[in-house]
Amino acid sequence: MTSFNPAAFRAFAAAIGQDWVMTSNEDRITYSDHFAADESKHQPAAAIVPATAQEVRAVVRIANQYKVPLWPISRGKNFGYGGAAPVTKGAVVLDLSRMKKIEVDTENGTVLVEPGVSFFDLYDYLQARKIPLWLSVPGNSWGSVAGNALDRGVGYTSYGDHAARICGLEVVLPDGDLVRTGMGAMEGNPSWQLYKPGFGPSWDTMFCQSNFGIVTKLGLWLMPEPESVQGLDFEFDKPEDLGWAIDTIMPLRREGVIQQSPSIGNWLRSAAVMTTRQQWTKDKGPLNDKVVAGIREKFKIGWWSVQVRFYGPTEITDASLRVLEKAFDKKPILSKKPAKWTRGDPPEGSPVTGVPVSFPLANANWHGGRGGHIGYSPVLPPKGDLAMDQFKRTYDLYSKFGMDYHASFAMGDRSLTNVNQILYDKDNPDMMGRVDAMFRALVADASAHNYGEYRTHIEYMDLVADSYGFNDHALRRLNERVKDALDPNGIIAPGKSGIWPKALRGERS
Amino acid sequence: MKRAVLAAIFALAGCSEKPAAKADGTKIENAFRGAMQDRSSKSPPEALFVEKCGMCHRQMGMGTVILARRMDPKVAMLEARTDLTAELITAAARQGIGNMPRISRGEVSDAQLSEISNYLTKGAAK
Repeated sequence: MTSFNPAAFRAFAAAIGQDWVMTSNEDRITYSDHFAADESKHQPAAAIVPATAQEVRAVVRIANQYKVPLWPISRGKNFGYGGAAPVTKGAVVLDLSRMKKIEVDTENGTVLVEPGVSFFDLYDYLQARKIPLWLSVPGNSWGSVAGNALDRGVGYTSYGDHAARICGLEVVLPDGDLVRTGMGAMEGNPSWQLYKPGFGPSWDTMFCQSNFGIVTKLGLWLMPEPESVQGLDFEFDKPEDLGWAIDTIMPLRREGVIQQSPSIGNWLRSAAVMTTRQQWTKDKGPLNDKVVAGIREKFKIGWWSVQVRFYGPTEITDASLRVLEKAFDKKPILSKKPAKWTRGDPPEGSPVTGVPVSFPLANANWHGGRGGHIGYSPVLPPKGDLAMDQFKRTYDLYSKFGMDYHASFAMGDRSLTNVNQILYDKDNPDMMGRVDAMFRALVADASAHNYGEYRTHIEYMDLVADSYGFNDHALRRLNERVKDALDPNGIIAPGKSGIWPKALRGERS
Repeated sequence: MKRAVLAAIFALAGCSEKPAAKADGTKIENAFRGAMQDRSSKSPPEALFVEKCGMCHRQMGMGTVILARRMDPKVAMLEARTDLTAELITAAARQGIGNMPRISRGEVSDAQLSEISNYLTKGAAK
């Protein structure tokens, strides 16, 4: 799969211009996963960079003709999950980062973005026009608004479940056909970004974490700037405080008093971004209690920390805050600190108010040299005792493999996502061997408790897909029946989320 | 997964009312506030720099935060540097350096990289 008919590349160049067909070794390297120890494993053969949906359609038709597997990326900043790199070595990256159109409906609070629009781009667009709509941004806001939502990324505000805010897509199908979902299926319909279901079956979620089409426009709801943001930052002293803290917050989450997803995480979150490991210790093993105490002292944090925020009219955020205070009344917290921003205050300037950032990526520098991280994020029921059990088992595995524990539990409406980061030095072969073994051990541990991951790195997509095994992997069989029906030549993102086209099923790992 | 990191940074919060854009680009007295960058520009090349590089190389960007560990924080932002050359900028962008990922030609064309390089090496930002 690493060499293609030169005629295919001549056809691509004829369709979109020679300048946008990139086949040099330098190009291959720029589209590789820079977090990977062995970048060659998932290195693409080339990249093609169309500017419009019509050019995407032309490229897809040519790819069908010459059987060239394409790996569509929005902006390729999915760091920790493979970046721009494909599952299959030698696929051709279809880079949509030149597609940067933005259409905002200020009154209704929606945007229609093309895949190349980053969170910073959209932020700048809204600021320049003084449009009072807020983003929900992820910790790496360099990436694509559309790509992040399609990969089920998350943010900090009450609009933080990005996939849930998608409303209407434009998609190039694997045969080159062009479809608009929901109300967009009617020419000129003004409710494309307003009403999600449309008429008949709804297809938006079918294009999340899938390889069934190439999204060229994505509708998204944006939060009207609230009158106020209020909340509390809680610190907890002991590891075992995790359970009751979750059990205290979850009832408010279920009732809808809390509408964002509070994330309770450990002491390493601050240290890994703001410092490097060697500032704390020269020891190679897991960080000892003395180091942990030092980190907590420097950053004035607990073993666990959580931030809860309310958005809306001040009367409502005031009342919500009182409900939260009451829930924690007489509970053994280490400390709590209020936070408040009111419209008219100077810009508050953080992701909880929709300001894009990139500094959390600095945690890749934790070990000093060229670093990286991968995430392991099983979903479990939102119960404190289950979270405690999950924490203990995972902590033991971090210790066993000699890695620094870095975890959080994000509280969704009805679920808990246990986001674990494994921070590594990619130039340390011994450590990289342990990272791979540890990741596999973590997935095996989750599977043994019937928990599944919500998202994973390209290297582990088959491993995770394999854990969804009900009725001899009936869901995978369904996915692959759909795949074969829509994409008989198997040209769109083979292997994405463990979904392989018929001709390449033998490549499943 | 990035959410976890960020939430922790908010835990550093103090009570400063000052907005972002600290001179050395990394010192935030209150991370709950003040992580916002200056996204303004006064010329097309500067606007291009902000669009393509600013997210990491202006205030509180990933590049600025990490470079401040290796040099005087006052020059951790690229626009404050006087030692940059076109060769270094091109090599860093296309081959990556340290924790900096490579920047593809799809994201920043050769012509755009050249314009950014001119902006950074001519002292346009000073």
